[in-house]
Amino acid sequence: MNLLKAIGECVLFIREGTSVLMRHGVHRHEVFNQIWRVTSQSLPTTAVAGFFVGAVMTVQFTLQVKAYGALGYLGGLSTSGTVRQVGPLLIAFMLSGKVGAFTAAELGTMRVTEQIDAIRCLGANPFQEIIIPRVLAIIASSFALLSAGLLMSIFGGLLLAKVFAGINADEYLRHIPTLISWPSIALGLFKCLVFAVVLATICTFKGYNASGGARGVGRAVVETAVSTMVALVVADWGTSLLADALLVLLSSMIGRTA
Amino acid sequence: MNAAVTFVLDFSALTYRSLVAAVTPPYRLRDVIRQIDTVAVDSLLIIVFCVCAAAMVTILEASFHMKLLIQNDSMVPGFAAMLILRELGAVVMALLVTSRSGAGMAAEVGTMQVTEQIDAIKMLGLDPVRFIVAPRLIGCAIAGAILSLFANVICLLAAMGVSVIKLGYTAGTFSAMARPFISAQDLWFAVIKGTVFCAVIPLFSCFFGFRCQSGAEGVGMATTNAVVATSVAIIVLDFGLSFFFSTFY
Repeated sequence: MNLLKAIGECVLFIREGTSVLMRHGVHRHEVFNQIWRVTSQSLPTTAVAGFFVGAVMTVQFTLQVKAYGALGYLGGLSTSGTVRQVGPLLIAFMLSGKVGAFTAAELGTMRVTEQIDAIRCLGANPFQEIIIPRVLAIIASSFALLSAGLLMSIFGGLLLAKVFAGINADEYLRHIPTLISWPSIALGLFKCLVFAVVLATICTFKGYNASGGARGVGRAVVETAVSTMVALVVADWGTSLLADALLVLLSSMIGRTA
Repeated sequence: MNAAVTFVLDFSALTYRSLVAAVTPPYRLRDVIRQIDTVAVDSLLIIVFCVCAAAMVTILEASFHMKLLIQNDSMVPGFAAMLILRELGAVVMALLVTSRSGAGMAAEVGTMQVTEQIDAIKMLGLDPVRFIVAPRLIGCAIAGAILSLFANVICLLAAMGVSVIKLGYTAGTFSAMARPFISAQDLWFAVIKGTVFCAVIPLFSCFFGFRCQSGAEGVGMATTNAVVATSVAIIVLDFGLSFFFSTFY
């Protein structure tokens, strides 16, 4: 019952936000400000996370393909494996701890120190002033950061392949185009976009609705972390199912025309 | 450059002092148990859930690609077991604990600093490191061992589950094919990893909390810095420990 209530409140929050966005537009300058803040503080974490994911996937695939003497395909395998699903999910977990906690803490502090009420008192709309710029900025920069993390994962895989399996960069990169396909990249990027939207919505919602002093801010931060993680996993399954359904539909259509 | 050297020296000093404070009496057992409760018990469910989800996704992905390449995914059980015990169980668990508990800890200590509670502790003639850092250090280390054990074992079962449901293995063939790749040693290494990673979390959280600048913005910055530093430290430590453990195989 509590879960349903929370989802309902979140939907109302999104509706309020979109209607304000439609009616009043957005402060472009503030959006760019926020994009700069989020991106600059999270780039190192995302880069390290991407590097790690790529490195681990490469090591694991090496152990598997070695037995079949297919080491030449290592680059394609681990890159494709990372980009499609594993990379976006793991990097998004890292990013949620970073961006989500910061935003929830900031908005929560604004709420409990009555700064949000002050904005309302001045006749301005808090959605327009603080929520919408943050949501748009987090969506844009999380998407960019996740994509950057995926690029870093290729680099991490490359380095580990050299150290761990003795495969040079040329050989590693050669089979990336043969195994990776446009649908894989599209699926990975689509997942990044969905995760960015999930991340942005939950942390602003929880921060905006914080209550009860410094403890309330702490509670909002923890709740953000927990609900974002669960929502990311659910979104991951959802997008995978959607992609599978789309693939079946497409192949059946191609089958009919051929 | 100068700032980096100061940072490393300050952090080493804090680490040394808290380790000394952790192993010498008085132990403040009640605080330690409260930390274990908040870090391990409260977040057990969510962390096991997320680690299992990550493992299942990785396994399906590995199987998909192995079938694509060599029309055969018979290495997947061994791959899954090794991936979970060597990397996923401990590292992803610790990274999730960082964003769930580490951020909260940094915010808590930062708020203490901003509201001058730390100065009050010093005024009373107590050592803030012994009073605040040491119980968190012991509590988080123990919680890390517990979480790592649970996450790894349940994750292996989830891997078996997803292989049975989606990949057409039976539980028997899955365990028979995974068994040659792993040993009990791997589980203990994973537990050691979990303990070390989680012990790092309170050190960084308290370090940045103590250095917190005043105001709401300062607490936010301390929280973010703590999460970033901890995540990077966990990944670096993971490479180091994996290399160290690889000499035992």
